[in-house]
Amino acid sequence: MSDHVEPIAFIAGPKRVWLYVRQAAAFIAPLVLLLLAWPAIVTIFDVSPRVFPGVQAVLGAAADGLRDGTLLAHVATSLGRVALGTVLAVAAAVPLGVAMGVNSGVSALLTPLFRFFSVLAGIAWIPIATLWFGYGFGAITFVIFNAVFFIVAYNTLLGVSAIPPRLRHAAASLGAGRVAMLTEVLLPGALPNIVTGVRTGLGFAWRGLIAAEMIATDVGLGYMLFVARDFYRTEVIVLGMIIIGIIWLFIDRLLLAPLERATIERWGLVQRT
Amino acid sequence: MKGLTLRNLHKTYFDLNMGSRVTAVQDVSLHIREGEFVAVVGPSGCGKSTILNMVAGFLPATKGEVLVGDRPVKGPGPDRGVVFQNFALFPWKTVIDNVGFGLKMRGIPKPERDRIAREFLALAGLTNAADRYPNELSGGMQQRVGVVRALANEPDVLLMDEPFASVDAQTRMTLQEELTRIWQERRHTVLFITHDVGEAVFLADRVIVLSKGQVLREIDIPISRPRAWDTVSEQDDFKRLSSEVLQMVRSA
Ligand SMILES: Nc1ncnc2c1ncn2[C@@H]1O[C@H](COP(=O)(O)OP(=O)(O)OP(=O)(O)O)[C@@H](O)[C@H]1O
Ligand SMILES: [Mg+2]
Repeated sequence: MSDHVEPIAFIAGPKRVWLYVRQAAAFIAPLVLLLLAWPAIVTIFDVSPRVFPGVQAVLGAAADGLRDGTLLAHVATSLGRVALGTVLAVAAAVPLGVAMGVNSGVSALLTPLFRFFSVLAGIAWIPIATLWFGYGFGAITFVIFNAVFFIVAYNTLLGVSAIPPRLRHAAASLGAGRVAMLTEVLLPGALPNIVTGVRTGLGFAWRGLIAAEMIATDVGLGYMLFVARDFYRTEVIVLGMIIIGIIWLFIDRLLLAPLERATIERWGLVQRT
Repeated sequence: MKGLTLRNLHKTYFDLNMGSRVTAVQDVSLHIREGEFVAVVGPSGCGKSTILNMVAGFLPATKGEVLVGDRPVKGPGPDRGVVFQNFALFPWKTVIDNVGFGLKMRGIPKPERDRIAREFLALAGLTNAADRYPNELSGGMQQRVGVVRALANEPDVLLMDEPFASVDAQTRMTLQEELTRIWQERRHTVLFITHDVGEAVFLADRVIVLSKGQVLREIDIPISRPRAWDTVSEQDDFKRLSSEVLQMVRSA
């Protein structure tokens, strides 16, 4: 999740584009190799479709799923759940994190707890979530919420407390009141950390979601995998795995990583000590 | 513009390492007239920053009070502009938005504050840097922005804590000359903290020598203005006053 892409940020022009292409190629090449090796291995060792499917079976499963609309329904449901849980979690975590970052007493009290719960992110909450909320919407949202909430709150706290006091002093001596201090100094100052928190939290949320969907619902990518297992439909399982991986890569690489890089790099927060 | 009065200021810290109270500032009284430039010099640890932080309102005084004009200081406020040693520019704001920050806090609309900010940026030769971010500027340019940001908010008093200590010697001299020029046009009341004796004598109307949290001596600097390093550094007055202040600081 934290592959090093930063150095590119400091290079400009065509050279930068070229580096991006090279980096993308370096990332895709092994996957292409795997894709090529897959049919070869299946043929050479005569693998049973019950153990592992051929490429064509997976493509067939994808076509079927697209035709009858079930695949889209699973994907849309999973994405919707992640989006909802994440939005709720961020909306709750950021204000709390800021409040903690401003008040050192509260922060000292809550920091260890938040670190603890950050580690638990996602999957470990599933059993208790199903006990509390039953099987379905509530349990799944709860799992995603927890995966994102603690990490974002903790990162917000870190971000706010890392803002040098002199920046707050500067703002105050230029006439900033409480609200302006929040919107002009604390939130923008903590934003890179908040984005990092969301990125990490979403990673856990996505995995937690798939796991939760296996036991706590009747639609979604995790459910799709789990049901396919009951019918020995390995081609559906592998299709699901591929989709899960690709969706996450898209979210992370095309959305979150550039956002994170943009905030950190543009503001040069590396040198803000 | 208003004068600045420090009345029997005391500050004691609780030192965690020693487990006891230490007195950083002891009964400092000082009056800076409206439009006067006062520099405070003294060895490291003599309480210069502590004084400035109390005047700025960042730090409560243990005893005594600070008055801007005749109004007592209760906390930080836009009547006292502060220029920080490490610039303290907002890294997430462009130069022009940094300079316009105080105006924004006063509710002045964007076009108007951009116009004012540009005027002030021009004053320090920063017109071309307006849309850049602070981390894209050299230290010297960043501190020009820091000075201009404080000025643009039109404070009654300007407080500066070793503002030029973290730039190279050449840039420092340029900044000092620019500051005297700008000051002469606008005549702010200035409290300037430094440990550089030459800087204090070059800039100020009056130099206060501080020792162990107390005022050791005050010396008037009757060198004519405008001041430029080329000419001032050759003057006997400057040499004499500098060595006089230096001796006092070293004995402090
Ligand atoms: N937060 C604090 N807690 C305890 N002691 C402090 C604290 N801040 C400053 N002091 C002590 O108070 C004294 C004055 O400190 P101050 O920072 O005002 O000195 P200064 O003249 O600005 O020094 P310098 O030239 O090194 O900046 C020093 O002895 C310092 O150790
Ligand atoms: Mg100091």
